[in-house]
Amino acid sequence: MIALTTPYLWYTTRATGMVTLILFTLVVTLGTFVANRVGGTVVGRFEVNELHRSVSIVAVIFLVFHITTTVIDSYVPTGWISILVPMTSAYRRVGVALGAVAFDLILAVWISSLLKVRVKNETWRFIHWFSWLAFASAVLHAYLTGTDAKSGAGLAVVAACATCVAAAALWRYVKRPTRAAGRTALSPLAASKGPGPGVPRPVSSKASSSFSRGESGVVTPSNTRAKPESFPRSPSPRSKRRR
Amino acid sequence: MGVRRRAGAFYLRVNPILCDGFGHCHELAPELVNMDEWGYPVIRREPTPLSDLATLASARFAVRGCPRQALRIERVSES
Amino acid sequence: MMLAQELPRLLNGTPGTPLTLGQHEATFATSFKVASLLDELEASGLTGRGGAAFPTARKARLLRDQRGHNKVVVVNAMEGEPVSYKDSTLLSTNPHLVLDGAAILASIIGAKDVIVCVSRDNPNAVGNVQRALDERARAGARGPTFKLETAPWRYVAGEESALVHWLNDNESLPQYRPQRPSILKIRHHAVLLDNVETCAHVGLIGRFGAAWFRTLGTTVSTGSMLVTVTGAVDRPKVLEVVAGMTLRTVLDYAKADPDPQALLLGGYGGAWLDGAHLDAPYDNESLAQWGATVGAGIVVALGRDGCGVLETQRVVQWMANESARQCGPCAFGLPALSEDLADVVTGTRNAALALDRLEHRCGVIEGRGACRHPDGVVRLVRSALRVFAADFQGHASGAPCQASRSGKFFVAVPRLEKESELVWE
Repeated sequence: MIALTTPYLWYTTRATGMVTLILFTLVVTLGTFVANRVGGTVVGRFEVNELHRSVSIVAVIFLVFHITTTVIDSYVPTGWISILVPMTSAYRRVGVALGAVAFDLILAVWISSLLKVRVKNETWRFIHWFSWLAFASAVLHAYLTGTDAKSGAGLAVVAACATCVAAAALWRYVKRPTRAAGRTALSPLAASKGPGPGVPRPVSSKASSSFSRGESGVVTPSNTRAKPESFPRSPSPRSKRRR
Repeated sequence: MGVRRRAGAFYLRVNPILCDGFGHCHELAPELVNMDEWGYPVIRREPTPLSDLATLASARFAVRGCPRQALRIERVSES
Repeated sequence: MMLAQELPRLLNGTPGTPLTLGQHEATFATSFKVASLLDELEASGLTGRGGAAFPTARKARLLRDQRGHNKVVVVNAMEGEPVSYKDSTLLSTNPHLVLDGAAILASIIGAKDVIVCVSRDNPNAVGNVQRALDERARAGARGPTFKLETAPWRYVAGEESALVHWLNDNESLPQYRPQRPSILKIRHHAVLLDNVETCAHVGLIGRFGAAWFRTLGTTVSTGSMLVTVTGAVDRPKVLEVVAGMTLRTVLDYAKADPDPQALLLGGYGGAWLDGAHLDAPYDNESLAQWGATVGAGIVVALGRDGCGVLETQRVVQWMANESARQCGPCAFGLPALSEDLADVVTGTRNAALALDRLEHRCGVIEGRGACRHPDGVVRLVRSALRVFAADFQGHASGAPCQASRSGKFFVAVPRLEKESELVWE
């Protein structure tokens, strides 16, 4: 390997690191917008989706810059292996390890998204949930490894990114479109409430208390399946099973 | 290079189990997809000729843009 | 040897006391040997008795032509329709006939395994099948390996793709099958799935041949079939009838109300037939002109003192709750239909609007689910709008009929379960 070091490589690493973090903040926030079905009137929902996809490409490019400049810079003794395998860096072992974890997860998310057409949708969604973990890992990496992140403007940026994503996560959960909630174990957001934002509400269910408890005109045979009739109640709130 | 006349037609088909009513298809291919009152796509049942390139392009965008990959373009080729 | 033109065939026994293997062999003894089973099946013109009436031989031939060494035959005894008792009655009369038929189908397609699926909420049927399987095992019968599986009872759990999905992944969820014909698979092994009554008929054809089978029935709807008659009867009855008999005859045999207001044919996903058409022959070809089918052999008689609007609303409400909730139009559309119907039944202020909206919503919902569950409900609602048009108008104008307030129900609808109570696995 070329023993290469110049202060500019080091500055590039730090700068692209910051930019990558900001870009991924944007990506994750846009992702929550897509999932919560933002848009439809002024901005199209598909536009939010396209923005999310495009910004993620830019973010990954900057990430690659950040990683490459770190590794080829011999000022800090990080080997190529420590990009992917955590805890193999001589320099700031834990910090770089978190970066490696983040990169591994981002790689998984990115590749599964590139192959989205070929991969089963439930597989893709399962992997995509790890983007939250990737971001958390990235923020910790920024704080623990970043020369700039410990104080001043750098800390402010990292803190702002972390707060932004935390707020997005909270909003994602609170305003989740419960119409898509369901029984899959993949989603920690399963619930059974009414339809979500941006969806016309169905006619509110009625209490059918006007029906008296009727006696059946039919004698049902002793089949445990056909349970005795009780007066028609209003149906339970609707949700669609998420696959 | 000549232009190859496309024969045949296509349908836009949705997998109703995968579909979660995001609505991107309606935005991307409004000539093919309408929304019902609950936010789910109502897709034209008649096939669209492949020579209708604009609609075909919209359909392709819709297939690519669906967050659940619930859409497919199915060819109906005529001899 | 069983004589031709004689009923009962399938119900040759006592419901509730299943024939043992020995009794079964004695009752259905024959020296008639069938040369090619598939050809006999084809010549017999047997169609599926699960509701879709698909030619059994065609299905068997399709499966026989599939590649694979470990094909499976699945016997569907789930009986998802709440007002159908024919499958459990058949299993309590002669389960061995069913197992014979399944073995024949297995030999036709080259399968080594047969899975009999019974609803776990029907312990009688489970017991009957288990006992029959034990008898066969003790007698050392040759043939395919039999297995009994019990799935939770849901309306859609008897749908063929839902049943196979349950066998694969333990969840009774219907699957999206865009390609027709589509072969069901259990872990990549091709599956031939047939209703329990169909298998029983196959068992008879295997013993007595196609010509014997055809002595009953019409040229198109051959053989006998089981019918469950409920509603305006002293008690629910399962009868073995022949296609071509008029509905009046069927009701007569069942000792049901001879002058019903209407009949619900086919099941909850079937259609209403006006009581004026009782002289129509009971077969698919004749009923088609009124948009009705034989379905799973279900007849519910609605007495003159019943209200068709109310009965339809109760059925639709239950069917909406039984949706697998996988597809938006079904998960949201069916409850919307149910609420509109509730509005109409009680004659609220929204009733007129709801009535107008019903037909529109039916058109929107139809054909947009992965399975035919929403289509069945739409068919029921549309037939109700036709047959009970006057009643609908009366209810919608704020004057519910006397019958709807009497609290008398003719269509037995099971208890409405809360969403959290529904068991799918």
